[in-house]
Amino acid sequence: MSQSGIETAVSPDVLAIQQKHLRRQKLNRASTYVIAILISLWILIPIFFIFSMAFTTQEAVRAYPKSILPFIPFSLDTMRFFLNSEGIVPGLINSVIVAVITLLLSTIIAAPAGYAISRYIFPGRNFFRLSILAVRAFPIVVLSIPLAVLFIQAGIFDSIYSLALMHTALALPTTILVIGSVFASIPYELEEAAMVFGCTPWQAFRHVVLPLVLPGIAASAVFTFVLSWNEVFAASILTLQNRTLPAQILFSLSNSSEAYQFAGGFFMLIPALIFMFFIRRYLFNMWGQVTK
Amino acid sequence: MQKKKRNLAPYWLILPSLLYLALFFAYPMARGLALSVWDDEAVLPLRTEADLASAEVGRMHQGTQVEILGQQGNLLADTLGDETNLLTELWFNVSGQDVDGAEVSGWVPETRIRVREEADDGTPLQGTVRRRLGSNADPLTTVFAEPNENSAEMGKLEASAEVQITAVATLEVWYQVRGEEAGQTIEGWAPSRFIQVFGDEVNGRIDRGTAGEFTWGFFERMFNDRFFGPAVRTTLLLMVLIIPTQFVLAIIMALVIQARLKFNSIFLYIFAIPLGVSDLAVGILFFSIFTQNGLFNSVLQGLGLIDAARPYLTADTRGWIIAAIWLAEVWRATSIVMVIVVSGLQAISDEVLEAAELFGAGLWQRLRYIILPLLKPSLQVALILRTILALQVFAVVIALSGGDVVTVLANETYRQYFEFRNANVASAYALFILVISMVSAVFYLRAVRTQQEIAS
Repeated sequence: MSQSGIETAVSPDVLAIQQKHLRRQKLNRASTYVIAILISLWILIPIFFIFSMAFTTQEAVRAYPKSILPFIPFSLDTMRFFLNSEGIVPGLINSVIVAVITLLLSTIIAAPAGYAISRYIFPGRNFFRLSILAVRAFPIVVLSIPLAVLFIQAGIFDSIYSLALMHTALALPTTILVIGSVFASIPYELEEAAMVFGCTPWQAFRHVVLPLVLPGIAASAVFTFVLSWNEVFAASILTLQNRTLPAQILFSLSNSSEAYQFAGGFFMLIPALIFMFFIRRYLFNMWGQVTK
Repeated sequence: MQKKKRNLAPYWLILPSLLYLALFFAYPMARGLALSVWDDEAVLPLRTEADLASAEVGRMHQGTQVEILGQQGNLLADTLGDETNLLTELWFNVSGQDVDGAEVSGWVPETRIRVREEADDGTPLQGTVRRRLGSNADPLTTVFAEPNENSAEMGKLEASAEVQITAVATLEVWYQVRGEEAGQTIEGWAPSRFIQVFGDEVNGRIDRGTAGEFTWGFFERMFNDRFFGPAVRTTLLLMVLIIPTQFVLAIIMALVIQARLKFNSIFLYIFAIPLGVSDLAVGILFFSIFTQNGLFNSVLQGLGLIDAARPYLTADTRGWIIAAIWLAEVWRATSIVMVIVVSGLQAISDEVLEAAELFGAGLWQRLRYIILPLLKPSLQVALILRTILALQVFAVVIALSGGDVVTVLANETYRQYFEFRNANVASAYALFILVISMVSAVFYLRAVRTQQEIAS
């Protein structure tokens, strides 16, 4: 009796506060949605616009004012013009080759180092990690000029393979840290358990750890691919004839039509759109490390 | 979680990456430093004779005015290419009958022989000795034992005598020069490719040297470069504009992601897209918006705010170009700050925030007194990273301004290397960027530490 009395005595106030709280929470939630949608629009509208420009006629690209509805008229005209321009198809091929070499090379070199910094405590470990952090924050600009001079002297200038070497150097620090954090997320106890059951260390690694880390390593490899695909400064300094796509577009930017530029912008955007979708879960893995 | 044994395994595992980074980071860095303060061609050693093996008389700096005293040919090393000032002589190995009717063979300058017959590939086979013009000239042509006027005489050929040409030698001309260096007059021999001879054929200057020297000259040229001032100002202005905007937007985005809305995964994807977009693509993206018949003008016209398309990206509208670069960079690089901030936010325990909310702290109060202070290490990292990246803004600027109206430091590095072909000044620019990066990083680290020290 007394219990219900307390309840009845208090409940109107509590209910009112609760409802006020709930309303405020709903309002907060609604405004969060509005902000999220606004930011999404801020990111998506330019992309949408350049897509519609890349898939229309050249007249529509030149037209003013532009129609509010995009993709009208839909046409592959601009795209065809861009792909038939000089150096674009070789540039695309070069970009893919450079990015794939960079991806393979940096993953192969970085994976053991990533494993080492996550699984072993050894003198010099902190120094190694710190120097990798320092190197990652290093300006590409500073590196490109001396490398260009070195490559000229070594006779490997203007080659997509030497550019891939440079991109590997740029990607390596990030790849080491990411792979390190991926390994760190797999408890060592799993490996230990496998060894208790009679696995050799290599078998434990091969059958227990590797399947668990492969998705994360794949994500870091994808990120490396995007990094190499996007890199403009070193690519345009280190190559002359064998340009990658961004270097080719940058080079012909000043004397090209808007149709060419927009189609080029579209082409450089595609990998970002596709790959970001697959690696979004691992983004925090990549950068969470930095602050620890 | 971690193996606690001391063995060599980790060192073997990190060895490949250490070697790679040493080769492609440390070594180029050292070279870059050297390029910007070391002039490879500063001084030219002069020799007692026209021979690289002879003793050095003294050294002369690049640009020194010299008097040409004489010249002499020397067998040319095969490795020399088409160097600008390289002067060569051809000598023919000939055989024929000399004045006394005896067979003679030896070397004669190409200028003394008129070639009469050539092989299909242009190799001279046969010729006649040229007549010497002038009344008091020696009518006979001397044949030398070696392609060198100082070598032994083998015999003399009469004008118009027929000779077989058996070999051709290319000689590099050496000059005997005299000039003043540090108040002293030096006289000596040097190869022609290092000396630029003026039209009068008597005076010249040292074009370049073979020995290096420490110099501040490249930095001086950078500071005196007409683009240097504008580039520094624009770079700093862009940093001041971009970084605060980015941080505010990134914290908002991170809070949205942390609110775990219904379509969180989609929002995260959209927010992360710019992370994978290159700066050139972003430049083109915002060019498509701000170009005269672009999206921005179309929308304004559609809303009836303007009557005709307005230009934004021209030399008269620097303000608009800077605004466009600002927006483009905020669009592109806010995502990375967001990711770092979200990582930081995830480390803040929900209990703390819930407790604050229970005690009636509003969003702003939570942000000001709990989230931001706890985010400080993450923000510090993001700030360092962003500052360094903001110093490298390059392709966006080229895409939006062509690189002339508005210029930044990275663009000047590119211009020095690519247009002016001057790797030294380009390295000086690159090093300047590095120094600013490092100074700002140290500044951020210090600034945060002192606050902590004051607090404790």
